[in-house]
Amino acid sequence: MKSGKRAERSLKRAIDLQDEDKGKKQSLDILRLLSLAVIILLLSTAWIGAVLGADDDDDENGNEVTYNDFTLGIGDRIEISNYRAELIEIQSVKDGIAVLHVSRTGGGLDEQRAFLENRANNFVGGAEKGGITLTVVDILDEDSAKVRIEYQESLGTPSRRASDRPISAGDKPALTVQKSFDKSKISVGDEVKVTVTVKNEGTGKALNIKLDDAPPLPEFSYIAGYPPKIRDSLDPGQSDSAVYMMNAIKEGTINVSSIQVSYTDSKDNIKMNSSLPFEIVINPKSVADLTIRMDSSGPLPLGGTGMVNISLVNVGTAPATRIEAKGDIRPPMGLEGSGFDRSFFEIPPGSEVNYSVMLSGKDPGNYTIHLKTTFDGGDGYAIREGSTEVVVLKREYKYEYLLLLIPIIIIIVWLYKRHREYKY
Amino acid sequence: MLNVLILGIGQCGNRILDAMNKEAMGGGGASKIAKYCLRPKFPSRVETLAINTAINDLKELRYTTAKDRLHVPNLHGVGANRNVGKQAFMENRDSIMGEIEKRGDFDIAFVLTSTSGGTGSSFSPLLINELKRQYPNIAVVTVAILPFREEGSIYLQNAAFSMRELMELDAEGIILADNQYMKRIGGDIASAYDKINSTIARRLLFLIESLDSEMLSVTDLGDFKTVMNGGLRIGTMGFYQADGKNSSIKDAIENSLKPNNLLYPANVADDAARAMVIIQGSREHLDVDQITKEVEKLTASAGHVFKGIVVKKGLPRVLSIFTLAAAPELESIYAQAARGMQEEKEKRSRARKQLDDAFAHIEDLEEIY
Repeated sequence: MKSGKRAERSLKRAIDLQDEDKGKKQSLDILRLLSLAVIILLLSTAWIGAVLGADDDDDENGNEVTYNDFTLGIGDRIEISNYRAELIEIQSVKDGIAVLHVSRTGGGLDEQRAFLENRANNFVGGAEKGGITLTVVDILDEDSAKVRIEYQESLGTPSRRASDRPISAGDKPALTVQKSFDKSKISVGDEVKVTVTVKNEGTGKALNIKLDDAPPLPEFSYIAGYPPKIRDSLDPGQSDSAVYMMNAIKEGTINVSSIQVSYTDSKDNIKMNSSLPFEIVINPKSVADLTIRMDSSGPLPLGGTGMVNISLVNVGTAPATRIEAKGDIRPPMGLEGSGFDRSFFEIPPGSEVNYSVMLSGKDPGNYTIHLKTTFDGGDGYAIREGSTEVVVLKREYKYEYLLLLIPIIIIIVWLYKRHREYKY
Repeated sequence: MLNVLILGIGQCGNRILDAMNKEAMGGGGASKIAKYCLRPKFPSRVETLAINTAINDLKELRYTTAKDRLHVPNLHGVGANRNVGKQAFMENRDSIMGEIEKRGDFDIAFVLTSTSGGTGSSFSPLLINELKRQYPNIAVVTVAILPFREEGSIYLQNAAFSMRELMELDAEGIILADNQYMKRIGGDIASAYDKINSTIARRLLFLIESLDSEMLSVTDLGDFKTVMNGGLRIGTMGFYQADGKNSSIKDAIENSLKPNNLLYPANVADDAARAMVIIQGSREHLDVDQITKEVEKLTASAGHVFKGIVVKKGLPRVLSIFTLAAAPELESIYAQAARGMQEEKEKRSRARKQLDDAFAHIEDLEEIY
């Protein structure tokens, strides 16, 4: 709104300047006009008759008014006969003001005028009187406008001439704004650093830069740095950024809205730009989770030894810290093992620690090795337990079956011996 | 401990010996595999030896060890011919006596033999004579089996001559068992033989056990020899075992002397010369007064009776052994044998004469070809 008023004021000032020049000239021209009026009155009778008699001739001689529309860029011009109209600049797209420089070869016309959109401007009496009439029918953007030229056909056919001046970027700021997160994977509880970067990629200085950032609540809570602040103005090529910290507090897919930057150029034109919205996913909170794997080396012979291999695997998404493992054997007598109790500072996610415990079987039976592990999983202390069975075998008599054979053999030998004794 | 030698001569002697081994293994209930797991449990130190000229007879033995079987090589037996048997014995005397000698010293020898067979009837007199010659201090008692009368004249002839030779020996007597008399206790001939053999075997074992036991009233080997030297030195045995219906010791003694329970037909009251009564049973059954009365009753007819009482769990069992002052049954055997021999002699003469007459037809002729 402010910039609109400013543009209106500048437009009035331009019109006032034109009125002031006209005032100065009026006093000098009054005398001229009076003398001209007498002459005109004298000649009018003859002229009126001549005009009335020549109306049909004019039409036949090509004095019919026609028009053409041309789309002109800055510096482009329309030429017809000895008239030339060049688009100098688009002063305000919003207010519909463009500046054209109109001249005639051989003098008599050399004027630069601000055109209001859709308002005809006559030059040298306008098209009806053998001059030309120019109208900005549409301002396309800051660099181009559609211009209509009305003229008598006798002037010939207008043509568009491209600018023969080097294209000048002019004083046009162009700010881009970008909002980014420092992490692509975010979990609940993570701190996220949001960076807002504004860069002037235009050719003019950007003024009155303001950011409008909608916070993605309630999925995040702000920690510091909000709202982001950047410099009020940026020269061409300059950039500035601001950072604020947020904490992800709720899981889900979040639509991060675009951040909008508004600024004015040197002509107080208000401009805006915004970043693209995007989506991020907040994963559940990262916690550690330990699983206990216990593998024994199989049944132990009585009096023999064996191993039980213990693995603590972090299958969670956060490091497990301050891990304490304590083990015991149930029943406590008959199977001996030491070294179950261990401490580990940290087990990263996906990693594991392994250790082994030597077992010694003293009495046959079934035993249970029970391991209890406490750890800080990032969400407080947690407990995991695991167990494995170990069997201590009874004493193995490898050739026990021979004991069965012995009496059989003895009986057979005995029977054979007795048979031989009685065999005659 | 009594040292006993039991010699089974010939097929009959072998089988009685085998029956004794069987009884020593558990008696009539001993199964065929008993010999594989049991040893004969004789009451004394008993050595046995089965002697035969027929190897097939030795092979048929089941409860006698191979080392206790002696084959006297003479083809396959002597064919009931005592002369051949005697010759075979004499030719193998040393080896036979060597086998006996291997079995050590003995107090008594029982010679089990048939009086009618070839080997037994011919070997036994010679063997007993040899035993008495080599072991003059041991008692040799012959257990002689008389044949079935219908077995044939040769068997009767053998029995007659064999018995005469046995009685002429300077041995401790003969215990007779008569197959003809005991035929009643069996059915067919085969089972009768088995039952006769088992009966003889049980009574001999009872006798041996009793002679070697601590007795309430003592009888010993000397008493037994005295009994066997009584009368004709021919005796026999009676046996009775009381049953649950009647466990009277008096009745048991009387029953043991009854003809039905004897091995040889005899009238104890009339024919007995000396006797021995051996009683086994639980103490509650052994009424000494009754036993004494019964023995005294027997003494009145038999002259002298030895009594032995063995306390052993069970109902009363009585074995009576006595020698005879008369043997009328023997006389009938001899008479039958003589008739048979005479008939045989006459048949042979007739056959000879017929043959001579037949030959007379070709006398003075020569073969013409």
